Amino acid sequence: MTRASETTLAPAPVEVQKGWGGQSVRRKEDKRLLQGEGVFVDDVKRHGMGYLHFVRSPYAHAHISRVDVSAAEAIDGVYGTLTGEEVAALTDPFFQISSAPGANIKDFSLAVGKVRYVGEPVVAVVAETRELARDASELVEVDYEPLPALVDARRAQDSDAPVLHDDADGNLMWTGLYSWGDFDAALAEADRVVKIPELHFHRFNSTPLECDGALVEFNRGVGQWTIHTNNQFPGFAAIMMGPAMKVGLDKLRFVTQDIGGGFGNKITSHPQLVVCCLLARKLNRPVQWTEWRTDFHLSMSHGNERWFHDTEVAVKDDGTLLGFRTKALDDAGAWLRYEPLGGVIWAQVTPGMYRWRHIELDFTQVATNKAPVSPNRGYSRMQHLWFTERVMDIVAHELDIDPVEVRKRNYIRAEDMPYETPNGCVYDSGDYAAMLDLALELIDYGSMAAKRAEAEARGKRLGVGIGSTLDSGTNNFGQSRLINPELQFSGNNEVATVKLDIFGEIVVTLGTTPQGQGHETTAAQVVADILSCSPDDVHVRAGHDSYWNSHAGFSGTYASQFAVTGLSAVKGATEMLAAEIKKLAGAVFGGVPAESLELADGGVRIKESPDAFLPFMACGAIINANNAGLPEDLDVTLNCRYVYRPPFEVPDVERKFGNLTLTYAAQIHVAVVEVDPETGAYEIVDYAAVDDCGKRINPQIVEGQVMGATAQALGAAVHETYEYDEDGNLLTPNFYDYHVPHALDMPPLATGAIESPSPFTPLGTKGMGEGGGAGIHAICAAIQDATGQVVTDSHNPYQRVWRLLQEAKA
Amino acid sequence: MLLREVEYAKPGSVAQALELLASNDGARALAGGQTLINVMKARAASPDMLVDLNGLEELGGIELAGDGTLTIGAMTTYTELVQSAEAKARPILGEVCATIADVQVRNRGTIGGNVCSNDPTNHLPPLMVAVGARMTIAGANGEREVPAEQFFLGVYLTAVGQGELLTRISIPAGKKDGFAAVTLGAEGTCICNAAASVNGAVRIALGCVDAVPVLVTADSAGGVADAVRAANLMPPSDVHASSEYRTHLAAVLATRAAEEAAAR
Amino acid sequence: MDVTVTVNGTAYERDVEPRKLLIHFLRDDLDLTGSHIGCDTGNCGACSVIVDGVLVKSCMLLAVQADGASVETVEGLSEDGELTRLQQAFNEHHALQCGYCTPGMLMSATALLREQPSPSDDEIKKALQGNICRCTGYWNIFEAVKSVAK
Repeated sequence: MTRASETTLAPAPVEVQKGWGGQSVRRKEDKRLLQGEGVFVDDVKRHGMGYLHFVRSPYAHAHISRVDVSAAEAIDGVYGTLTGEEVAALTDPFFQISSAPGANIKDFSLAVGKVRYVGEPVVAVVAETRELARDASELVEVDYEPLPALVDARRAQDSDAPVLHDDADGNLMWTGLYSWGDFDAALAEADRVVKIPELHFHRFNSTPLECDGALVEFNRGVGQWTIHTNNQFPGFAAIMMGPAMKVGLDKLRFVTQDIGGGFGNKITSHPQLVVCCLLARKLNRPVQWTEWRTDFHLSMSHGNERWFHDTEVAVKDDGTLLGFRTKALDDAGAWLRYEPLGGVIWAQVTPGMYRWRHIELDFTQVATNKAPVSPNRGYSRMQHLWFTERVMDIVAHELDIDPVEVRKRNYIRAEDMPYETPNGCVYDSGDYAAMLDLALELIDYGSMAAKRAEAEARGKRLGVGIGSTLDSGTNNFGQSRLINPELQFSGNNEVATVKLDIFGEIVVTLGTTPQGQGHETTAAQVVADILSCSPDDVHVRAGHDSYWNSHAGFSGTYASQFAVTGLSAVKGATEMLAAEIKKLAGAVFGGVPAESLELADGGVRIKESPDAFLPFMACGAIINANNAGLPEDLDVTLNCRYVYRPPFEVPDVERKFGNLTLTYAAQIHVAVVEVDPETGAYEIVDYAAVDDCGKRINPQIVEGQVMGATAQALGAAVHETYEYDEDGNLLTPNFYDYHVPHALDMPPLATGAIESPSPFTPLGTKGMGEGGGAGIHAICAAIQDATGQVVTDSHNPYQRVWRLLQEAKA
Repeated sequence: MLLREVEYAKPGSVAQALELLASNDGARALAGGQTLINVMKARAASPDMLVDLNGLEELGGIELAGDGTLTIGAMTTYTELVQSAEAKARPILGEVCATIADVQVRNRGTIGGNVCSNDPTNHLPPLMVAVGARMTIAGANGEREVPAEQFFLGVYLTAVGQGELLTRISIPAGKKDGFAAVTLGAEGTCICNAAASVNGAVRIALGCVDAVPVLVTADSAGGVADAVRAANLMPPSDVHASSEYRTHLAAVLATRAAEEAAAR
Repeated sequence: MDVTVTVNGTAYERDVEPRKLLIHFLRDDLDLTGSHIGCDTGNCGACSVIVDGVLVKSCMLLAVQADGASVETVEGLSEDGELTRLQQAFNEHHALQCGYCTPGMLMSATALLREQPSPSDDEIKKALQGNICRCTGYWNIFEAVKSVAK
């Protein structure tokens, strides 16, 4: 299925480092996972725990006129229930990121007074067994008065549209105009204006195989909750939950170990976690919640659905693009849980990979009676980058220029890096043209004409498409102020601790919550290089635990940043430890300066006389258990905590200008599809993906991310969609109708890599993991090529392709 | 995901099974469970009792008679049929069964379960109609045989009544068969399918376009598309296909199935 | 109902409701949490186990149907905590990321290689078709299985 991967180093010479960084070290995580000894949240058990089942709304929009839990509570073995009324009494509404009008909506962790999407949790039932909780939930009586449902974002601001949130006085949640350069001047300078009335990026998500879940214990004596969960952004969850529950953040201990995939979709489970916390306290027993697949599809973390209307592109006849103007309409679903940050996150990649300077984007986000939208792999950038790629291909189509040429003419060039975009973001490094060349080589682009003819002879149509994309990583949370100037967030951080234990064991804790990205392994590689030992000597604790105090406000695993934030924190903590080891040894050796010492062979020695050697075990033992006689001013603990802080400024809110992300990994994909013109069914027959994420600490892990994201993108492009009927019923509520690709669906894949180190990060790494959205762009382009028709939707099931072919005939 | 309470019975014979099914209104036969258990997880149906047919030898086995007739026990799994030497007498059977769902499902799912559940997107109902299968139904009053084209009565509804069981399917000799489908993903759920059998004339059964397979005949593969159009199909629209698209696919797939059949 | 189910060589006698799914019996009653649940429609294969030598999805079997049967789960694959050749191949080829689908994948691959020690590429893909993975895209899993085929 895979052809050989090739790695090309960046054109500029890169200092080749000896050591573990850059090697595909086998993963430490694997042994337990391969033996079924991983600990996922549903594996955690507590004596006497109650199982929670949510009663969920069957209506997309309705008033709740009555809730009666008495019949359910009367069942023997049912421990208790929780209603929206109780939640409204016990908690404050969740903090809203938005400015008005979105700021005014009242978001509680159970529906209060009204339901706003099918599947919205209304009541929680806790019982002795899973089955009993499920049975008892059927006895909960809820009376609804149905209201008309709003499912089309384009109708959300009509005067007669059903209104979801009376507090917001309409369905508009946020709006903002972004404008840089001078688009009107660009129009004047243009040779022609390409107009695209409507583009649509569809609703889907990454359906991690493990759904959300938690087991929550309440310690009555100290008023403290322990939340075993698979939430992937505990920093955010804590900030949302603490104020809502009216408790300090230290009362919320988050514990994660193994997480079965996240992809952004496990960021906004905080409402359900609050329900678990309240019930653990109310019932005085641990409460266990497992989300079923259908629940996940109905209610958790749909990706942003976005329309782009009335797009105008200022174009020169030679294919140079000067700028664009568009109206972006974002469908946020029923609640703003991480939104409306999607309204600014796209601006990390405003021009995509291209040099146009005159850009105007009018962004509007509205609420609809659908599942709440929150981050999905590629969060908000994927939608925007798809837009820029569509523009490239549609312009190429209208001007009858080769899409390869249009891209090369407009790509930001390697020599322009670092490149400041029209809105002040800085692309750190990259050579997009070289990546495209490599991708075309991997796909054997030169043979396409012959392959087309061969397919034609069999009655099929071949199409080739390019998808280029950026994977911006390490957010500057100051961009949230572009959404709401009153927010007090900015910058970013991540924490790591590294210590030498009493027997000289090297123990690392992270603030991150990996869901398969191999943090234990790559962190060990970084530590091993600094301490001159083997990754096997480095023990990295699995998962995340607030009790380790190894986290800060932004801790978690999301937004393509671990290789920068997490690993830089590890680097910082390890360098602190290395310095302390040398200080200690220097003192033990009778006053030897640090420059004369080196770490090697599991210890520290004097460079000039290596027989003077103190093994790590001795260092650990001295500091922990045998420290009499050490100099009074010896400032050494061998237990080092480091907070990495990327260099950011608060953006200029007026001009909406400033650096929003630290690094810019890139991916360029090429897809070849073969279309059956009689049915519209198509197969992806060949595929190449080239990635550049700067210095790769573990190339095999990086490639795994590229492959996985590609597979998800292919699934989204062809089959995966969250589509609703006019009453707000989700038509794809489980894996039966929402087809996720399997082993037979995968095309042959060739991968390539280029390393353009980031000049802005301590290790030259760039975060990566979200770039696979390029697959959607590539498939759209390939279908456009095969059918000769402009593709305007990100989702192209066979039916849609057939329609395009019909249009071509007409 | 969690079933309602249900009683469970494991009869030692078909006669016992029939008695259990006849005497309990809410009793339902459990064959492979690859559909029924999922239906029960969703609580779309919740029988009071499951009568487990697994292990009943009377319902297993594949026999090839001298005249080429295949008799297949209703509890034959897809895997058993794919691996059966006898079933190769009518190759289309194993070929189609090998594309149903996945290995795990094929190891438990049964031929009888597939036809009795009569989901409009199933593979076997149209195939049985096309090859002219005959279904043997056992009940309190003995056995009766129903031709496939009269067996399928409505969505999830067949001629097997309460207290009855499909025991075996008889398939006449033949080799000129074809099957074509457009599926959700490779070898996935059918969006539209068509089964064809050629015996002089062409016999087509269309799936996914109505509550039951739609039988269409033509003189030759070339005439199939017109015959399908003349059937005035009004298939349902759903998230995978509009009525218009399904109608179009039906004609295309029927032609392809017929061409495959004619070429064997 | 009283059932006796042998899992990975150990016989367990338990009283279970007929409605209890085998996957819940394994995970909740026997504390064998290696087999996972990823869906509610029998599509994902994370629950795949081998029952009397046959690969099945344990979410579509009732525990009572496994009475008297011999079940193999991921926990029974390796002896003495050492990784088998197949498990090592998964590690070498980076055939797992989050690890949630992995037990099911291993059981499917094990079932394949028992029946067909020298599978073709197509046979490998078909054998894995019933196991969904969201992390890897399957390419590395395929390579891992292929590498241990004879």
